[in-house]
Amino acid sequence: MLKTLPKSPKHKSPVLPDGTSIDDLINVDMREVQLRVMADKDLYDLEMEKIFSKTWVLLGHESEIPNEFDYMVREMGADQVIVTRGKGDEVNVLLNVCPHRGMRVCTAEAGNKRTHKCIYHGWAFKTNGDFLGSPVAKEQMHGDMRPKSELGLTKANVKVYGGLIFANFDADGQTFEEYLGDMKWYYDMLFCRTDNGLEALGPPQRFIINANWKAASEQAAADGYHTITLHQWLGEFGGFNEGDIEASMMGVEVTSRTGHALRCQPVANKFKKLAAGFDSMTLEEKLELLPPPGVTKEMLPQLKNHLDPEQLALLVDQPPQVGGMFPNILIAFIYAPQPDGTILGLTSLHSYTPRGPDKLEFTNWIFAEKDAPQEMKDRIRKVTTGMLGTSGMIEQDDSDTWPHMTRNAKGPMGKNVTLKYQAINSLPRPKDWPGPAEAYDGFTKDDTQWNWWLRWYDMMTAE
Amino acid sequence: MTANTKPIAANKEKRIPVGSETYNRITEALYEEAMWLDEMRLEEWGDFLAPDLIYRAPLRLSRQRDEQAASIVHTMNHYDEDYGTLMGRIARLTQTKSAWAEDPPSRTRHFVSNILVRETGKTDEYAVKSNGLLTRNRFEEDHMQVISYVRNDILRDVNGSLKLAKREIVFDMAVLGTQNLSIFL
Repeated sequence: MLKTLPKSPKHKSPVLPDGTSIDDLINVDMREVQLRVMADKDLYDLEMEKIFSKTWVLLGHESEIPNEFDYMVREMGADQVIVTRGKGDEVNVLLNVCPHRGMRVCTAEAGNKRTHKCIYHGWAFKTNGDFLGSPVAKEQMHGDMRPKSELGLTKANVKVYGGLIFANFDADGQTFEEYLGDMKWYYDMLFCRTDNGLEALGPPQRFIINANWKAASEQAAADGYHTITLHQWLGEFGGFNEGDIEASMMGVEVTSRTGHALRCQPVANKFKKLAAGFDSMTLEEKLELLPPPGVTKEMLPQLKNHLDPEQLALLVDQPPQVGGMFPNILIAFIYAPQPDGTILGLTSLHSYTPRGPDKLEFTNWIFAEKDAPQEMKDRIRKVTTGMLGTSGMIEQDDSDTWPHMTRNAKGPMGKNVTLKYQAINSLPRPKDWPGPAEAYDGFTKDDTQWNWWLRWYDMMTAE
Repeated sequence: MTANTKPIAANKEKRIPVGSETYNRITEALYEEAMWLDEMRLEEWGDFLAPDLIYRAPLRLSRQRDEQAASIVHTMNHYDEDYGTLMGRIARLTQTKSAWAEDPPSRTRHFVSNILVRETGKTDEYAVKSNGLLTRNRFEEDHMQVISYVRNDILRDVNGSLKLAKREIVFDMAVLGTQNLSIFL
C-alpha cells in the first residue's frame, strides 16, 4: 500500500546550490532516497542547521558525572558542549565556546571544576554557564557595553530521561515529550523500569568511521534485514538464535513519524529450546526463566512498580531489543546466551555523531542496571564489548560497510542511484497489540526505516 | 608518573639487559608474533596465547596534567578479552565464510620497538613493555591508518617456549581513528 502523505502547511523545500531541492532527493510515493544524501556537503551543512540545531541530541548518562561540579565534554552535532553537574540533580549543557574570542573553554574531556576558566584570556564561568568575571577586575576587560548576564556560555535546554542526558539548542522547539511522542511507552520499558535505573559502566568508546552519519543512523531505525547477510557468521557459528537467523527476523516493529523505531522480538521464538512451553507459563514463571536483558531476578518485583500491566506483559513476551531514536541513536538491549547456560544482556546505546559529510564518530556507551551486582556488570561489559562497538564481532562488519556507501554517493552516476524502502508490511495491525504507535507484525520490513526518512524529510523541509 | 609509564610489574624488579640471551628470546617472540598477525597466521598466533590470558585495551581520555592517572580508563575497554573470547574471534575470522570486516583482509604491518624487559618475581615470567605502531590499509584507500600504542605484557616461559599471559594495549588516541578493531595488536 503506497501512501501519499500530505505536505505540512509549513513545508518549504530548501534548494541546494546546484538547484536540487530536498523534494528532488526523496520520492515519498516511491519510498526512495537518492544516494547523493550520503556524501553531499551542502546537504550536510543544512542538516546541521535543520536537524542537529533543532532536535534533542543524546550526550551521555548522568552516572558519568555523579558528583557536584563533575563535567564532561561531548559533541552535539557539529558543536562541542560541556555537560556539567551542579547541585543535586542539576545538569547543564553549555556550548564549549568562550563568548570572548571563541576559544574552547574546556580543553580536557572530563574532570571536576567549580569554575570553568578559559585559558586564553581568563574569562570564568559557573557550572551553569553564568559569567563570573574577567581577570584584572579594575580594568573591566569585558567592557560595559553588555551586562554580565549576556556574557555567559550559550545554554541548551536539558532533559534527563531515565538518566540519559538529552539537550536541544532550539529554545522554542519541540518539548522532549513531543520528541519521544507515542514511542515513549516503549522506551519507558527499557530506561524507566527499575527503582534506580541504569548506570553507564564507564565513559563511552569513541572511534571514527569514514561514512556519512545517516548511513549508520538509518540502519539504527530497526533494519533487521541486514542481519541475515551482513551478520551471516552468527548463523555459521551456531550459537546465535540456535543457528536460525531468519527466525529472529520475526516480531513486531513499532515506529511512528517521530522517526523512532524498535523491534519487539518474541522470546519464545528466539529461544525455542530454552523457552519450551513458554506460552503456557504465568507471567512470574516467564520472568523467572528469562528476565529482560540486564535485569536480575531480585529486581523483578521492581518492574511492576514502574510499568503498567500491558508494558510488563510485553516486556516479558516480546521485549523491544533493538532499534533507535531519531536522529542518530542506536539502542541494543539484546539477550545474550552464554556458554554456561546463563543469559546476559547486551545493553548499549550508540550515537553516530556527524563529523563532516563523509565522517562520523561512533560513540558507544555500555549500561547495566545500577542495582545489578558488580559481577553481573563486569560480565555485561565484557560480553557487550565483545559483540558491539570498537572491536565488537557483530558491529565490526557494520562499520566496514558504511564507508562504501558514502564513497559510492560521490560518483556522478552512483549519487543518482536510489536507496529503496519498498519492502512494505501490508498486514493489518496485530490483534490486541497493547502499545501505541504503528505496529507491524511478521518478518522485518522497511516501514521503520521509512519513517526515519520521513522524519528527516519533515525536519529538512520545515520552515 | 605519567600514564604511559605505569608499570605492569613494580619497577623495583630487576631489568633484563638489552642484548642478553633472555632479552633476545623475548624480542624474537614479539617479532614472530607481529609476523603471524601481518601474515594472517592466526592459528599460530593462538598457539602463542596462554590459557589464562587477559587481553585488554583500556579507553583513553584527555585529562589535565594533574589528573593523568585518570587518562587511562580501566572500567571500559576497546578490547576486553580472555583466551576463550580471543579463540572465538580467531574462529570467526578463519572458520566462517562471512567475517566481512576482514574479507577482503586489511593489509597490516605491526612494528614493535623500544622493548624493555623486567623480571617479575616469578622465575618463569617476564614483564615486557614495547611500543607498537600499526599501519593498516583496506581496499583502494590512498592513505594508511596509523595506530600507535604501548603494550604492557607478561610473557611466560612454558617448557622452553614463550606464551603471552597478559597484555594491556594503551592507545595514544582518545578517539580511535579506525572504523573498527577487527585486527589484533
